[in-house]
Amino acid sequence: MELFFQQLISGISIGAIYALLAVGYALVYSVYNFTNWAFDAFMAFGAFMAFMAISSLMMPFWLAMIFSIVLTVVLSVGSEKLAYRPLRQRKAPRLFMMISAMGVNLAIVNLINKFFGGTFRKFPIQSAQPFFVGGVSIGRMDLLAGLISFIVLAMLWAFLYRTKWGLGIRASAIDIQTASLMGINNDGVAMIIFIITGVLSSIAGVFYGIKYAVFPTMGIVTIKAMIASIVGGLGSLPAAIVGSMILGILETLVSGYISSSYRDLFSFMFLIIILLFFPNGLMGKSGDEKL
Amino acid sequence: MSIDDNPSNNILALRNLTVDFGGVRAVNNLSLSLKSGEMVALIGPNGAGKTTVFNLITNAIKPTSGEILLNGKSILGVSPDKICQMGISRTFQNIRLFPQMTAYENVELGLHSIPRYSLAEAFYRTPRARQIEKNTRAKALELLEIVNLKEHAHARASSLPYGLQRRLEIARAMATSPQLLLLDEPAAGMNEDECNDLIELIRHIHNTMKYTIIVIEHHMAVVMDLCRGSRIYVLALGSLLATGNPEQIQNNQEVIKAYLGERKNVRETTAP
Amino acid sequence: MSYFIAITILSGINIIAAIGVAILTGYTGLFSIGHAGFMALGGYLSAILVKEYNVPFVVALLAGGTFAGLCSFIIGYPAFRSKLRGDYFAIATLGFSEAIRLILNNTKTLGTIKIGGAFGYMNIPNHSNVFVVLVAVILALFFAHMFVTSQYGKNCIAIGQDEVAAEMMGVNLLRTKLLALFVSAFYAGVAGGLLGFYFAYLSPSFFTLTKSSDLLAAVVFGGIQSIIGPVITAFVLVAVPELLRALAEWRLILYGFLFVVVMIFRPQGLLGYVEMNLNFARNLWSKIRNKPVGEVKG
Repeated sequence: MELFFQQLISGISIGAIYALLAVGYALVYSVYNFTNWAFDAFMAFGAFMAFMAISSLMMPFWLAMIFSIVLTVVLSVGSEKLAYRPLRQRKAPRLFMMISAMGVNLAIVNLINKFFGGTFRKFPIQSAQPFFVGGVSIGRMDLLAGLISFIVLAMLWAFLYRTKWGLGIRASAIDIQTASLMGINNDGVAMIIFIITGVLSSIAGVFYGIKYAVFPTMGIVTIKAMIASIVGGLGSLPAAIVGSMILGILETLVSGYISSSYRDLFSFMFLIIILLFFPNGLMGKSGDEKL
Repeated sequence: MSIDDNPSNNILALRNLTVDFGGVRAVNNLSLSLKSGEMVALIGPNGAGKTTVFNLITNAIKPTSGEILLNGKSILGVSPDKICQMGISRTFQNIRLFPQMTAYENVELGLHSIPRYSLAEAFYRTPRARQIEKNTRAKALELLEIVNLKEHAHARASSLPYGLQRRLEIARAMATSPQLLLLDEPAAGMNEDECNDLIELIRHIHNTMKYTIIVIEHHMAVVMDLCRGSRIYVLALGSLLATGNPEQIQNNQEVIKAYLGERKNVRETTAP
Repeated sequence: MSYFIAITILSGINIIAAIGVAILTGYTGLFSIGHAGFMALGGYLSAILVKEYNVPFVVALLAGGTFAGLCSFIIGYPAFRSKLRGDYFAIATLGFSEAIRLILNNTKTLGTIKIGGAFGYMNIPNHSNVFVVLVAVILALFFAHMFVTSQYGKNCIAIGQDEVAAEMMGVNLLRTKLLALFVSAFYAGVAGGLLGFYFAYLSPSFFTLTKSSDLLAAVVFGGIQSIIGPVITAFVLVAVPELLRALAEWRLILYGFLFVVVMIFRPQGLLGYVEMNLNFARNLWSKIRNKPVGEVKG
């Protein structure tokens, strides 16, 4: 029984990480209707920047986080301006934007690989004593990951639903052309969305790196988060969070009770099966093309 | 506004057709029927739901309730490609040609959307396959001839001027050998001369090919001309507002109000 | 000399796989980053058939291709039937390819056959010589050309350009997309087989996202709706890095960067929409000779 709760806690914390990624993905998707393949790279970049901050620049953890967030945001906004905006303005077909995003991803992941090498690195922080609650050990980092994710998502919610800019983004998610006709600055919205993307992916990257390891292709888990948000039903942020939590918990249970090497395999297969039978997600709606 | 008494003559019948998009009722309890060989028009102010009706007939969208009958048989839920093979073809409000294919390739697609030879023959290009391709090519050029586009046969569709693209779409729709042809704003963006040519073209293909045709149009001159001796259906806010021949429709107060309702108010507010 | 033979063989294999991706992505517009998975399926099956069961080499290759093609229905059928969006289909192909790689990585034995898991499948008979590969490439080109110029191929192209219009004009989307997927997976499977017979060894690590990206690059740079474009690019992408060893480390970084540049400045790729046919050859010849030439009808 303790093992079960152990796994549950662990699953929740990884679910929280996936939730950050899934929300970031859902946000870009609901406004621009395209899959940001470079998300992968942003996450790895965030993790590596923090890693570098702590190990080479000797920064304390909290400063390293901020350092990582700032740099990732710069990267995210930069890639929006250079790789996506020209296509967006030209109303290029989705296929082209996807390929461009893939390009950004390829370039950045392999740049990281070139400069840092492909070895799996352990995040350089002291593993403090875990908390013990009723015989179940709760890792400090797991707790922190869950807490920070919760806070960040709550802040995001507040931003989206309580501020003018947030309103602008929600309007753009419904219809970007109408929103711009109503006076909403499309480029400003783009920048904000990609700032948020940068923040979410760097935090997720750091905590994922702490929990597992830091390596250039670690971003592949964003695929899981993407699918989790699709499964939950795209365009819906709460659904993205729910989907991610379910995924995180399920896969950790599989890992704990069956085998850890089958964890990723299980996730991919589970998600593909759901995706194939619920193409618009469990809660989502389809986007019909205008004829 | 009543359903025809003799349903066996009807090539197309819509019964109580309704579709909701979220909270918006785009088409409301629409019923109409057409006999084989008729040419009718569907008109109405913007947003009336006209293209939605075409989308329902071709099953691009599913109705919330109601029936669609082709030659007496329900075609609800039949996939669009099958509906095309059953004899319904269309053009699009926003022109959907295959932009990088040539004009004749666009038309040809309508002829071979179900390939005329087997896959094995495709890989080995047997003499029989080659002959079939030759025949298809000839038929495509014939159709281009009918719409007067033969000299543009090898031009990329996207490079053609707007008016020619509209005609090309009609040729492509004809290539599928339809019984029922749905033309969505074929005269959009055309000047008077082009409209006259178009009217002639549509009348010509109606007479020679014996299609049943429904035209959605905003160009009143085109509508009134084409539907002389036939019916016009007026749609407003998703409901059938009026039916009648051109004269009746032109003098129908409700129709005038639906189209021009605003003008009276403007005059009142700007009166000195 | 053997160095150039190696380049010829490896680029030949790359060309065949790239043609497969060209048919699916370049022509039919279905974005796939999972073709490495199909290569793996075809590769392993062909290798097993020859090594364990002494099946004739050519038969095994074709069987491997067919196997990959049939497996493609596993994701193809549900995805196309439910009209899964383009990017989700891409995600599904990636997930599928990764799942295959992970399964192979974790499977040391299949019944009595030792396929070695992550250590790889060893001692595969070395059947891929230059002659075999060149013949395979020529056949691949021939049949690909036949396919894309046939009515089946043209239906695929219509789907790639406007699938809604294609469906309204009577094209059955499900069947046509499955056909394109099958053919492209078949090509990848054959390429995978040839790869195994060349290295005499197969490892799941050959079939990663990197491999799929390589193939995609050939199509993106080489050109949409063209066979000749990806063929040339597939060759160049193998030959050039080999010749410029120093560049090898920067290869993928460069690709990534080029993807963005190409999409922004020349999305149709190098030779997009250019097809190998009499017109192309004539125009090229006339340009070389500097003489004008009339157009061949059709």
